[in-house]
Amino acid sequence: MKRYEVIIVGAGPSGLSAAIEAAKRGLKVVVFDENEKPGGQLFKQIHKFFGSKEHHAKIRGFKIGEELLQEADALGVEVILNATVVGLYPDKEVNVKIGDQIHHYKGDTVIIATGASENMVTFPGWTLPGVIGAGAAQTMMNLHGIQPGKKILMLGSGNVGLVVSFQLLQAGCEVVAIVDALPRVGGYGVHASKVARCGVPFYLSHTIKEVQGKDKVTGVTIHQIDERFMPIAGTEKHFEVDTVCMAVGLSPMSQLLKMAGCAMEDNPKRGGQVPLVNEYGETSVSGIFAAGDVSGIEEASSAMIEGKMAGVCVAEYLGYIDEDTKMTELKAFEKDLDSLRQGMFAPKNRGKKIEKTDEGIDISTNLLEKGYVADDEIERFPGVTHKKGVHPVIECTQNIPCNPCQDACPKKCISTGDNITYLPFVKDDVECINCGMCVASCSGQAIFLVDEDCGDGTATVTLPYEFLPLPQEGDKGYGLSRKGEKICEATVVSVKSVKAFDHTNLLTMRVPKEYAMKARFFKKAEV
Amino acid sequence: MEAKNSADVIVIGAGIIGCAISYYLRKRGKNVIVLEGSDNIGNGGSSRNGGGVRQSGRDPRELPLAMYGIKNLWPGLSEELGVNCEYHKEGNLRLGKTPEHLKILQGLTDRAVACGLDVKMIDAAEVKKINPHLSDEVIGASWCPTDGHANPLVTTLAFYKKAREMGVRFITGEKVERLRKVKGRLREVYTKDNVYEGEYVVVAAGYESRDILATVGVDVPMHKELVECLVTEAEPHMFNQMLGTAEADFYGHQSDHGSFVFGGMSGLELNNKNTGPKNSPSNAAITAPCICRGIMKYFPALEDAKIVRTWAGYLDICQDGVPVLGFVDEVPGLVVACAFSGHGFGIGPAVGEQMAMLICEGKTSVDISGLQYGRFKAKI
Amino acid sequence: MNTVVDRSKDIGEFVPQPDDDMLICRCEEITKGEIRKAVHDGMWTLTEIRRYLRTGMGLCQGQTCSRLVKGIVARELGVSPAELEPATSRSPMRPVEMKVFGSEA
Repeated sequence: MKRYEVIIVGAGPSGLSAAIEAAKRGLKVVVFDENEKPGGQLFKQIHKFFGSKEHHAKIRGFKIGEELLQEADALGVEVILNATVVGLYPDKEVNVKIGDQIHHYKGDTVIIATGASENMVTFPGWTLPGVIGAGAAQTMMNLHGIQPGKKILMLGSGNVGLVVSFQLLQAGCEVVAIVDALPRVGGYGVHASKVARCGVPFYLSHTIKEVQGKDKVTGVTIHQIDERFMPIAGTEKHFEVDTVCMAVGLSPMSQLLKMAGCAMEDNPKRGGQVPLVNEYGETSVSGIFAAGDVSGIEEASSAMIEGKMAGVCVAEYLGYIDEDTKMTELKAFEKDLDSLRQGMFAPKNRGKKIEKTDEGIDISTNLLEKGYVADDEIERFPGVTHKKGVHPVIECTQNIPCNPCQDACPKKCISTGDNITYLPFVKDDVECINCGMCVASCSGQAIFLVDEDCGDGTATVTLPYEFLPLPQEGDKGYGLSRKGEKICEATVVSVKSVKAFDHTNLLTMRVPKEYAMKARFFKKAEV
Repeated sequence: MEAKNSADVIVIGAGIIGCAISYYLRKRGKNVIVLEGSDNIGNGGSSRNGGGVRQSGRDPRELPLAMYGIKNLWPGLSEELGVNCEYHKEGNLRLGKTPEHLKILQGLTDRAVACGLDVKMIDAAEVKKINPHLSDEVIGASWCPTDGHANPLVTTLAFYKKAREMGVRFITGEKVERLRKVKGRLREVYTKDNVYEGEYVVVAAGYESRDILATVGVDVPMHKELVECLVTEAEPHMFNQMLGTAEADFYGHQSDHGSFVFGGMSGLELNNKNTGPKNSPSNAAITAPCICRGIMKYFPALEDAKIVRTWAGYLDICQDGVPVLGFVDEVPGLVVACAFSGHGFGIGPAVGEQMAMLICEGKTSVDISGLQYGRFKAKI
Repeated sequence: MNTVVDRSKDIGEFVPQPDDDMLICRCEEITKGEIRKAVHDGMWTLTEIRRYLRTGMGLCQGQTCSRLVKGIVARELGVSPAELEPATSRSPMRPVEMKVFGSEA
């Protein structure tokens, strides 16, 4: 029987963060993960994260994973992969399947950071090949380099549905629609907008009526539903697709905790069956902790802080730090966590209908219902101002805890004010030098550099562009509206790709000047 | 006392025994209320056992019940209850690999034959003929062709379903705290918030029976042991016999579904502890691996079968290894049916019918005289 | 704490629905209609449903369907899904070959 001071189950963001904090304080740590690669979901996350500098903001998920792994490795954490913890038994003993044997390990403490699994919803045809989870689609694309399908319908407009839809577009798939039973887009407006401007239509208050196909998906029919979620006759719409992707939420994989006798609760706000834990992840069984999605579905950023808290807790549990030190450190993490749990999408606001921003501005209803801010709504947000010459236009219209834009500008021309969730605005008295750092830094791809009047009847719009192949200078095509419709002719003035932009290319297009505040994407003309 | 909490008989425990008793009582026209302490019907051994419907290997005192049930009740049970209980009467092989094993098997066989059971010793060739999938190391077995197995989960729920349909009132999550005698006869059953009243009270609550019976001064000498079972994914059909071994390394069968259900022990059962969740005792880390090794010694062909689940359950083991059944002279109105010692499932229907008969007609048709309370005496 | 439930409480008649033949538990091929019928047969807990029908007893151990089954049973009983205790979690968390399970390092 091998014994460790800390056994961590799951090498995702929370598990690795816990391992790092525990190892830093001198504990002997092992992390088991059933996958062949560590990092959990981080390695599928090719988009830039929201948050503040301290929370890895504007860093892409997989990079965060690499950083965590390096740090854990440097601290001597043992990360054992292809190691399935098959059971958590009395006395904090785990059975781990490694290779073709069962290994027994005991932990003085155990941290369960097993994450979550994807939910499914049922409709006739849901078991046909071609109906897949959004997470599975992400794995296929981002880990294995395989297109999940050619024509895809996405069910679910939460952040997962939106982010994966965008990634599907990046992978060259056609996303025919994003469908959600709720009347409003569930995820961040900026995520919705970057999909909408590529021309993907949103169908809110809709659900799948059935999926057609004999051996595999060949089509899908959706219909509108009323406020009691009952279908409205005559509202059917049919799409020919080969894939239906479901992004309808996650369920904590809390089975090990239940097996170990930890007190559990069924909490819909946390995503399902979760352990009863205190604010630092301590379960009802002494020495067993839970961190990350397993104790309540949230973001990777909060999972990492929860992991850190558990790491500090086990250090105190085993006498490596004293109670006072623990509390001081936990309080600091709690503050971090609290700052992440702010804004319109904070756990406390889940399910609430928010009509005004913190600044008192009416929320864009078009954004909530169709996925993009309408032309007549955009002007009311503080990031959208007009100036002579090139200047940033920040189409950030919801209060979310994110502020990389503030630090991105070398001239400090952008500010989110006193609160990380406030909407960013452009300072009047500072000159924009057209460097593009703000455009590349915005994880929501919501910042544009616009010169509204170049003096020759044209305007230029610089936008973030993350598709291949990259258009070339001189390419002709169309300016697309926020809705993704061709609204004008456009010519590519330049495409900038520098290291500091971290794979976000800056495409500048020239459009007729009346479209300066309307054209937000470029589509190359078909030859 | 509200009338709605009264019945002819109050049955405590909704396992196979309580459900079967309530069904056969209802069939005889009695009004019955069944009180189950956990949230689930059949939460104890009834849903955790290996599904054996055996006569061989049984103590002569309970063998008549086993033989009676297999002859009269099991064959028509699925039809009677309207649910397929997956009963197979295709024999039990108790396997041996060494001369010592054969000696143990011979002893069991001789005792059963003396009670009139059709069981015999067979050699390796005959074993192979009955079950060609066994290891070549098996040198002999005892063979009882009328033994078999059924699905314990479904059988228990089938009794419940049918009894409920016929009007038996089942109340789950209703843990009995004490019994109460009124004017010299047991009449009342107290739970945290309710009182139930009946002409008869049947205590069929597994090991919990001990605490319940203690409230009227009755003590069944029993203890509990935490044992485990496991189940594989569905495999192609291989055989229908019930299997066991001379050394009890494992026991089990292949279900209609195709999965193999095997039970067994690590040897530490007396002291296995339970730190598991409510309603579901925990497994020990070393038991399932031990059962697997036991199985593979006899069934090398199963080494690639995938285990999908393991579980643990308590045996309510009587001091002398057989149940306590029937009236208790000192407490009129009380009927006891507990301490089945890990082999109650197979005799469940027979116990149910006979206890109903006892309550309604005052006597059983099968001799249960060796199973009565009051048989326990000091050894000298 | 267990909850007192009188299993004779009226939950209405079983009424067939058009999508009753839809598969819910893919591993064991159990349909929505079978689950709904089981509730009317008296199987009111997820544990009983699982023992009666084998939902969630297949290779995935209910990873996908347990939430779906819960929703169906809750609707049939007229209670909130959160009121239904999920079935027990059991080792092994992933299917393990007997020769592997039996080989302890």
